[in-house]
Amino acid sequence: MLFENRDSTPPTPAKLLRGWLETATDDEGLTWLDDRIAKVESGDAAALYLGFGLAPRKVGKQPLELSTLQLDLAKEVRSGWDPSTWNVGQAARTLLLLSIPSEDPGPYFEHLEKLFNAAELQESVALFQALPVLPHPELLVDRAVDGLRTNVLFIFSAIAHRNPFPEEYFSEAAWNQMVLKALFIGAELDPMVGIDRRVNPALAEMLIDYAHERRAAKRPIPVELWRMVGPFADETALEDMTAILAEGTELEQQAIALALAASATDDADEILRSKPQLAAQIEQGAITWSGICDAAYAN
Amino acid sequence: MRYIDPHIHCSSRSTDDYERMAEAGIVAVIEPAFWLGQPRTTAGAFHDYFSSLVGFERFRAGQFGIKHYCTIGLNAKEANNERLAEEVLDMLPLFLAKDNVVAVGEIGFDDMTPAEERALRVQLDLAKELELPVMIHTPHRNKKRGTYRSMDIIEEHGVPPHMVVIDHNNEETCKEVLDRGYWAAFTIYPKTKMGNQRMVEIVKQYGSDRVIIDSSADWGISDPLAVTKTGNLMLGQGIAEEDVQLTCYKNAISAYNQSGQFNETDWLNPEPVDESKLFEGNSVLRGQRPDSSTPQEDGIIT
Repeated sequence: MLFENRDSTPPTPAKLLRGWLETATDDEGLTWLDDRIAKVESGDAAALYLGFGLAPRKVGKQPLELSTLQLDLAKEVRSGWDPSTWNVGQAARTLLLLSIPSEDPGPYFEHLEKLFNAAELQESVALFQALPVLPHPELLVDRAVDGLRTNVLFIFSAIAHRNPFPEEYFSEAAWNQMVLKALFIGAELDPMVGIDRRVNPALAEMLIDYAHERRAAKRPIPVELWRMVGPFADETALEDMTAILAEGTELEQQAIALALAASATDDADEILRSKPQLAAQIEQGAITWSGICDAAYAN
Repeated sequence: MRYIDPHIHCSSRSTDDYERMAEAGIVAVIEPAFWLGQPRTTAGAFHDYFSSLVGFERFRAGQFGIKHYCTIGLNAKEANNERLAEEVLDMLPLFLAKDNVVAVGEIGFDDMTPAEERALRVQLDLAKELELPVMIHTPHRNKKRGTYRSMDIIEEHGVPPHMVVIDHNNEETCKEVLDRGYWAAFTIYPKTKMGNQRMVEIVKQYGSDRVIIDSSADWGISDPLAVTKTGNLMLGQGIAEEDVQLTCYKNAISAYNQSGQFNETDWLNPEPVDESKLFEGNSVLRGQRPDSSTPQEDGIIT
């Protein structure tokens, strides 16, 4: 039968990665990788460390360019997993990580620690983006939280964006610091998986303070901030929002209106009514947080 | 004209230096792992140093438009702390296969002790296994014997001379190094090593084939513009532009591109996504842009 599925075991992230690499790299690269995988599976530490470094050189550095179907399958296999920005070398690196014997968490974790501690920039991105598919995720939470202390935006983004790990494993305090820091260093909020599910009063309170402080200093306030504030808008927030709705830029007004619509208090409704056109646009779904994020970071 | 400084210790230089280097036409640098001016007391200190060479320093240089590569190795001086040396040699596989590591180095002799020789031999074998070029540091004292002995050992290990750059040459060593088929590098460094004008004379005498010029600029009194100044001096004294390009740019590419990691396209056509991310993600500039209006010094080392 032409379309017979000979492999009857359910797909795993490792199987998907191996399948994607089959079309994305050449025979030589694939042979090298399979040989390394076998060595890593047998517990050869030097093969892991050298192989992790060499992988992009052996299989390529071009983007994986996964189709919508492939990305859907990735999400099915591991909810929230989004390898849309991955490249070929990174996929090979992730496969090597998935080949580390992990039944005994001690030695497994030690190998990962060594790789994290010696990682250069692209390796750090690969390691952090692999977090959602790695075994023993509970052992890796501190590492992920620590990774966000970077000032290198693309490493921060590897953890915070298109990565379900923070939503699933971060404490409220760690999650809130991630969001707050994103606003400080100019990282988008919209690509954070679970951004609306993990809103909380403590985060809103910090952001309301921050917005008020920025307004007092006559400095611009990141428009995405209001997304987190909307559901918890207090008197101070509503006062700031009213002022920005009246005199802010078009994008700021859209963001405030959207936040007010999410607040669902009578006060918020009343403020929103002062901009019937924006209210109508929101009703029609013409203004979205994704759209506001795109507009804010387009340049 | 484009320049490469294939031996400079950027970790001990300032952002002002990067700005001036970029302005003077330096498009890429190689930072060899070396000692820090005082001995490290733990293997962890080496670990963090190697990490910064493959990580933060590469990022920092990128902020100023300079492509940064490095070499990884246990230097000769610190090979003499044998307990520490063993730990560092064991650590090298974690770093040697990184994407921007273009050679094993700088390794070689300082006092010419048995411990230094052992570290040299272990690292030559690693270079062979990984098919990486080797950058050899030649000693300040007993230079001629140290240089010749290094080449003897390299040949015993079957590492071909075209895979090896012998650095810090002078008028006494360079003929033998070139005759035996190695790349001969020269460090323009005040008081010790080589001067700008002496370098011009060497190129006049030996030509530009397999001759490489670098600054070794580090935490000492040294000059991160030594390569470009020497290039200008050569042009001013009638050396053909082609020879200046070979000694100050192209030979370094030929030598280190044997690693597969040092391609002209990296800086002529930088990866657009990475570059823009580097600039956005900047933690060095703190919101400022590199200032390209800093005047360039024109003093030369004699």
